[in-house]
Amino acid sequence: MQWIPEYRDDVERVERFNFLARFTHWSHTVTFILCLFTGLALFLGGVDWLAAIFGGYRGAGLVHRIAAVILTITLLTATVFGFGGLIAWIKDLLRFGKNDIIFVMKFPLEFLGFPVKIPPQTRFNGGEKGNSMVTPTMVILLVLSGYIIWFPSIFPAGLVRFSYPVHDLAMIFATVMVCMHGYLGSFHPGSGESFWGMWKGTVRADWAKHHHATWYDETYGDKAKGE
Amino acid sequence: MTRLKTNLYDVSKCTACRGCFTACKDSNQLPAVIEPFKGNYDTHGGDTNGNTYMVIRFNEDYDEVTGVRWNFLKYQCMHCIDPECMKVCPKGAYTKLDWGATFHDEEKCIGCQYCTYACPFGIPKYRKRTDTVTKCTLCYERVAEGLTPACTRTCAPGALKFGYRDELLEEARERVKFLRANGFPRATIYGETELGTGTNKLYILTDTPDKFGLPVNPKVSANTWVWQDWIQPYAGWLIPLALAGSATSFVTTRLLANKNKDHAEGGHE
Repeated sequence: MQWIPEYRDDVERVERFNFLARFTHWSHTVTFILCLFTGLALFLGGVDWLAAIFGGYRGAGLVHRIAAVILTITLLTATVFGFGGLIAWIKDLLRFGKNDIIFVMKFPLEFLGFPVKIPPQTRFNGGEKGNSMVTPTMVILLVLSGYIIWFPSIFPAGLVRFSYPVHDLAMIFATVMVCMHGYLGSFHPGSGESFWGMWKGTVRADWAKHHHATWYDETYGDKAKGE
Repeated sequence: MTRLKTNLYDVSKCTACRGCFTACKDSNQLPAVIEPFKGNYDTHGGDTNGNTYMVIRFNEDYDEVTGVRWNFLKYQCMHCIDPECMKVCPKGAYTKLDWGATFHDEEKCIGCQYCTYACPFGIPKYRKRTDTVTKCTLCYERVAEGLTPACTRTCAPGALKFGYRDELLEEARERVKFLRANGFPRATIYGETELGTGTNKLYILTDTPDKFGLPVNPKVSANTWVWQDWIQPYAGWLIPLALAGSATSFVTTRLLANKNKDHAEGGHE
């Protein structure tokens, strides 16, 4: 049985993510997961063993704060140094249209492994567009509500009270997206190739042509080459 | 259920000598904290803090008829019958003693301060020195030994009483009747039914609660109950659901791939 699609350098490959995007992605991954598990120790309640991994509840709290600060720095650095990429990303998300809706509707079948015909997708398909909208929104909410909870004395009490349910809900939605994203971006046979796009930066050209036809044509197709 | 033991505080007898305040610090071995002068008679900004479980508040009240009047108020944990702090605490540091005190176990506390913002009275406060939250204990260790709380024992004008809640309630009703007939028409009992089930501290007020800086109708914030009653117990199940979905897909994609080999080749069509 195959876990992740094999990395093949004997076929033509095209760049999907540059170094900054990949660095940001993995830095965010590590810090998010640290924050998630240290935070779950409080959210779930009665999971002393989880807190024990980080040296008890105080240790978990410390790891949570350190990881949160690194996560914030990651986001800010990516925004400053990768501003062009960020804008390009947002522009691609704004192209959400008919093909994306068809993608989302057919996706449950594709998800379970049934062969389906999917219309050409831009750089990010309908599902990825959804993830790209929900997860960053939730993480921004997590960061904002998190700092309010961390320094409650400098914020109005009502805002602090409001931040607790926001922090929890945003955590739940972000984690649901991360679970699906983590699976689809690795073990799912159809989209697993995109793992190499985020790990090594390149994906197989034929995979790109098949899964992101619009993007491939615009970036690496004959028209793009001609310009 | 055992009979609840309660503190009764009669504002009309209080002279704001702050004896209870000092006795509280002494009995709980809390250090004195020098705080900046804020331009009024209140000490500690009129609020509890990590090293101060109770304060006497000096509320100035101006009335056209009666002129300026002090409304003193002994301010500390109200020991709610159904305490919100106990509900939000992720570590279960709060328990309700069978005789009515809301007990906070500092050993279990991790200083997250959820309780500080859930409390309708804003009582529990963070103490940096121990990295925990602290609050009035209703001198549970003294009560266990058959003594009265330190504040009650020391109260010179007899404004504080300790005893069974039902008896003290009777006494408070009589006292309110007397006060209403003798120049305090708005005298009232506070803590009998507040927050639905009441508090285990009873106040006899000479005026409406707002004149004492107390919430007239204390409420648990909607944020708190949405968070505790809906998000905490139910919303989290979405996460295992997402994991289960992924696991299902992991199996079915591979089963179906074996059926139609051509589709699965190389991870794409």
